[in-house]
Amino acid sequence: MKYLHVELNSAEEVAAAIDALGRAGAPAGSIEIYSNRPLETDPPLLPRRSRMSLGAVLAGLFSGTTATALMFWMQNDFPLVTGGMPINSGWATAVVTFECTMAGAVLGTFGMLLWEAGLAGRRGSAPVPVLPDEGIVLQVACSGETGRAEAALNQFAPGRVEIVRA
Amino acid sequence: MATIKPAGIAPASAVPSVPPQGRSAVRAELLGRMTGASPAYIAAVVTCLAVLAWAAYAWSYQLVHGFGSTGLRRPVFWGFYIVNFVFWIGISHAGTLISAILRLTGAEWRRPVTRAAEAITVFCLMIGGMFPLIHLGRAWLFYWMIPYPNERLLWPNFRSPLFWDLTAILTYLAGSLIYLYMPLIPDLAELARRKTGWRGKAYRAAALGWTGSDRQWQALERGMKLMSVAILAIAVSVHSVVAYDFSMSIAPTWHSTIFAPYFVVGAIFSGIAALVLVMVVLRRTMRLEEYLRETHFVNLGKLLLLMSLVWLYFTFSEHLTTWYGNRPGEMRVTAVREGGLYGILFWTMVACNFVVPFVLLGISKLRSIATIAVSSATVIVGMWLERFLIVVPPLATPHLAAAEGAYAPSWVELSITGGTFAAMVLLYLLFVKAVPIIAIWEYEHEVPAR
Repeated sequence: MKYLHVELNSAEEVAAAIDALGRAGAPAGSIEIYSNRPLETDPPLLPRRSRMSLGAVLAGLFSGTTATALMFWMQNDFPLVTGGMPINSGWATAVVTFECTMAGAVLGTFGMLLWEAGLAGRRGSAPVPVLPDEGIVLQVACSGETGRAEAALNQFAPGRVEIVRA
Repeated sequence: MATIKPAGIAPASAVPSVPPQGRSAVRAELLGRMTGASPAYIAAVVTCLAVLAWAAYAWSYQLVHGFGSTGLRRPVFWGFYIVNFVFWIGISHAGTLISAILRLTGAEWRRPVTRAAEAITVFCLMIGGMFPLIHLGRAWLFYWMIPYPNERLLWPNFRSPLFWDLTAILTYLAGSLIYLYMPLIPDLAELARRKTGWRGKAYRAAALGWTGSDRQWQALERGMKLMSVAILAIAVSVHSVVAYDFSMSIAPTWHSTIFAPYFVVGAIFSGIAALVLVMVVLRRTMRLEEYLRETHFVNLGKLLLLMSLVWLYFTFSEHLTTWYGNRPGEMRVTAVREGGLYGILFWTMVACNFVVPFVLLGISKLRSIATIAVSSATVIVGMWLERFLIVVPPLATPHLAAAEGAYAPSWVELSITGGTFAAMVLLYLLFVKAVPIIAIWEYEHEVPAR
């Protein structure tokens, strides 16, 4: 696999280069951008599908339900003297249920972040370019010939396209 | 002293940019502030360690000699430890809550402020969370609170607000740690690139393999938005649960329906004050004048003024309801609190929390970094007094008049209280040398490219 790297100066340049790569036949999945700060364009230059919200909600529901079930069974199996109050009270357990739901949502969000960002040992095989302080690096993965993609990128940074084999 | 008189909260466009020195220079400068230790810095660390060592001795003394070494006597069994617990948990709202609100509302001026705020939350929770353990007396039995399988069939009481405290504080601590850590990852990767040896290895491990790819930035931004929403709900719930510790009991003046929002308001109020004080110290000691500008302080000062008014409203409502109810037990507490033994503390609290901020922050000609710092300092004092006046007078003046008593803290409680302030300063001193106190990647948006 060959990777083309080119350093560009602004998000606008990157957007134009991505357009040119698309016209040259490069699939969106083969393109990656590297920078020292988020580009914060709306919509994103490379739209990606995320299931982070779903993961957070499911983790929260799982955690909250498990905690509530644990409390329910524990209080039934080992009842305390309640002075006439019900063994299981929705009002009292709601606080713990809420906190455990939120704890699950927080941990779920963090787990999904690690998963979707490819962190904690899940990085792909693509070589990582050295990040410049100011510029933005555009990377294109090419399985075969690189001529068309290179030509597309040369419009924006003539002679600065670097080819890396990995 | 220069004053600024913007019409409202300054929008992003009103925040003046730093001198056009380029992102590389800003990056190098902020990372450079982490290196080296001046004699004053070392002296501060040694002083904090000495105070902490004394506090550790005091706690060990209490562990050996029991609660008799404290000022806790019948009928006052909640004293300085619970006051400090409520106070520090309140201060902890400075960080994640304020940072989350500013993030969600897209307040651009937040960028140099958020990390300093988020760190306050984590440190305050660590310190505040210690007090229930210290207050337990036999602190080594704290694990009895946790519902783990055991042969003694000793299960926690899920109806107890103390158990709610455990779950709420652990959730908030976990959430705040993650909320602090997530935006730190890109800066940790930057540090990993620049450091060698064991420091480089440590930063590399903490950066989790961050490469700066667009996939990672998008995931981080999405994660921060989700976390902001979650942390807002958690922060409000945590101080509500702390309020439930009081309002679930029938001690005079505690059994109140507005205690939860009253505590949350007080927490945000004291949190903003703490954030301002920390920023003033950082600005002065780390020479961050170009980054923490007067606009930031003016905006926070206005928030402080708003919270001062909301606090006054809640305090008035609480006292008016008590007075109008005219229940004997509550009236005796009110009399002692407002005009009796604790009267001086009460009126000092009102002056610190309302009069001083209202004058210094409400009159725009008087509004400056110095006066905002003074107001914040008085609010911190006032809010500590408020916690004291909520905890102690109702216990010292119970329903049964014959059971009245008094409370005075012992040297053990005073030492441990002093130790917690030293712990806060020490944690912050170490933190500013471990990571950039201003989130570089967030701040760089304000800096024009070269």
